[in-house]
Amino acid sequence: MAVTTFAYYPGCVAEFSSKELDATTKALAPMLDIELVPMPAATCCGAGDIAEAKPNLYLTLNVRILSQAEEMGHDILTICNVCTMNLRRANKLVKEDPRLLEQVNEELVKAGARPYEGTKEVTHLLWYISTEEGLSLLESRGPRGLSGLRVAPYYGCQLLRPSSVLGFEDPDRPQSLERLIRALGGEVADYEAKSKCCGFPIILARQEVALKESHVALSQARDAGADCMVTPCPLCHLAMDAYQRKAEVLNGTEYNLPVLHLPQLLGLALGLSTDVMQFKRHMVPVDRVLETVGA
Amino acid sequence: MPTTTFKIFRFQPDAPRPEPYYQDFVLEHEPQMTLLDAILDLQNEQDGSLAIRYSCRSSICGSCACMADGRTVLACMQQVEELKARTGDDVVQVDPMGNFAPIKDLVVDLDPFWEKFRSVKPFLIPDGPAPEKERIVPTEAMQRLYKESRCILCAACYSECNSLAADPEFVGPAAFAWGYRFAADIRDGERKERAKLYSGKHGIWDCTRCMYCNERCPKGVDPRDAIEKLGGVAFQEGVQHDKGARHAKAFLISMRTGGKLNETLLVPFTDPIGAPLDAPFALKMLRKGKAPSPLPHKIKQHDEVKRLIKNVKETI
Repeated sequence: MAVTTFAYYPGCVAEFSSKELDATTKALAPMLDIELVPMPAATCCGAGDIAEAKPNLYLTLNVRILSQAEEMGHDILTICNVCTMNLRRANKLVKEDPRLLEQVNEELVKAGARPYEGTKEVTHLLWYISTEEGLSLLESRGPRGLSGLRVAPYYGCQLLRPSSVLGFEDPDRPQSLERLIRALGGEVADYEAKSKCCGFPIILARQEVALKESHVALSQARDAGADCMVTPCPLCHLAMDAYQRKAEVLNGTEYNLPVLHLPQLLGLALGLSTDVMQFKRHMVPVDRVLETVGA
Repeated sequence: MPTTTFKIFRFQPDAPRPEPYYQDFVLEHEPQMTLLDAILDLQNEQDGSLAIRYSCRSSICGSCACMADGRTVLACMQQVEELKARTGDDVVQVDPMGNFAPIKDLVVDLDPFWEKFRSVKPFLIPDGPAPEKERIVPTEAMQRLYKESRCILCAACYSECNSLAADPEFVGPAAFAWGYRFAADIRDGERKERAKLYSGKHGIWDCTRCMYCNERCPKGVDPRDAIEKLGGVAFQEGVQHDKGARHAKAFLISMRTGGKLNETLLVPFTDPIGAPLDAPFALKMLRKGKAPSPLPHKIKQHDEVKRLIKNVKETI
């Protein structure tokens, strides 16, 4: 497979509080025949919050990011559900409505930014690697496997819904993570709540509600006998890992469930150094997982 | 003709068997048959006690919403064969809507839904006395609330709302779609009062953005988008006291000062009272490197962003 070049949009959380995700993705990229080109002038996507306060500003800022990718000549690769949804939503809105694109471009030009022609796409790493082509690429890398590690796939919301914006797979029967886990030699710990909400968007404003939400997936994954959970989204990761102890206290139970970022699971199977993947930055220790896979 | 097994949730609290159970019904039917017609057929031919609420049978009254294979649908809008094609299974499981207490079989107690609907004042509250002739509204002004006007109150959105599952008092997606429908109506005189009313404890800032409402709505209302727009209305009206609004404001500050999210500012700004009390957690995050520098994260060409913030007008 030839090398695919992407405009790399890691999103704020992967760049700052969850640096381990960004570092792992960058180290993993060459193993997956991906070249990642940084986007130094890209803003935050607004994570739904800018859209909530100032919808037109949200749209303009996101189209500015898309236009930067267009100037670079590459589609965008994301590693966050929320970035994916926000960028794709903006892209869809202006691609379907030339008049709207014109209005947004007027603002961009007035502000000294490049107008957007509507020619770029936004893809999440999970989508790139869970296609048949991606899976055979993984196989050709001779993965050392996951030694039957039982992994609970956790999708979260905004990589699936609304399907009119995301549309990669059936939002009610997603299988991309399952395909990956199996291809890498792991076992799938299946459970119903894998595409329910982790509560992260309201974890600061409505902590109790959010922690009751994360409880649903965490407790089900635990009961399904998972050794760990894997997620394609760093916001879900924060809710499930960093806030796991808080959810245990509020819900009066224990999960004790290590949570991996998607690229970390790939990295473990492909033999990426554990130092690079920075597991020490996780709140829930992953020692048990590392032992099982012999990392 | 195709044959389908319907695995239907049964609950008849007054019957000799009062606890809930599933019952299998087998039905041979026309390929185009809808789920509602199939259930009514079973009711007529196999078990007269099978209960479902319905009326128009043509996707407009919003009475027959229920769960088919785990998805809330209007039974009259959903063909049985489509359901089977989706799952690749000849068995269709039918349940009552979620987030509601079942009364009998597929019939649920909608009282909380109607109560919350009423609580948003889902009617026009004009500013001043009625004019002698009708109030003329330009087409563009009505287009802004066209989507929300299509809501038929079927409660499919409410059935799978993840916030509601965690907080049963959350007002919920359909009610807020109606809230926006009137808050955005240029004839309405209570925009600010509505912004305040909807920003309460179980209000718009409770929405966890799970997007189930947008996914399930059979009429394309996109209730989450309406809730998002109500956030915009609250900002325009200066109703920004709620922690949820402060959370959004912190994103705007990050955008203005650097262009990327300043997570370390986000926490105390959202919750200035609660955050200091949670120092042990903050310390743990700090130790794990999860509390990045509180200084602005400056992007290249940030001037463009500052100009956009200054120039872009909101039209909500």
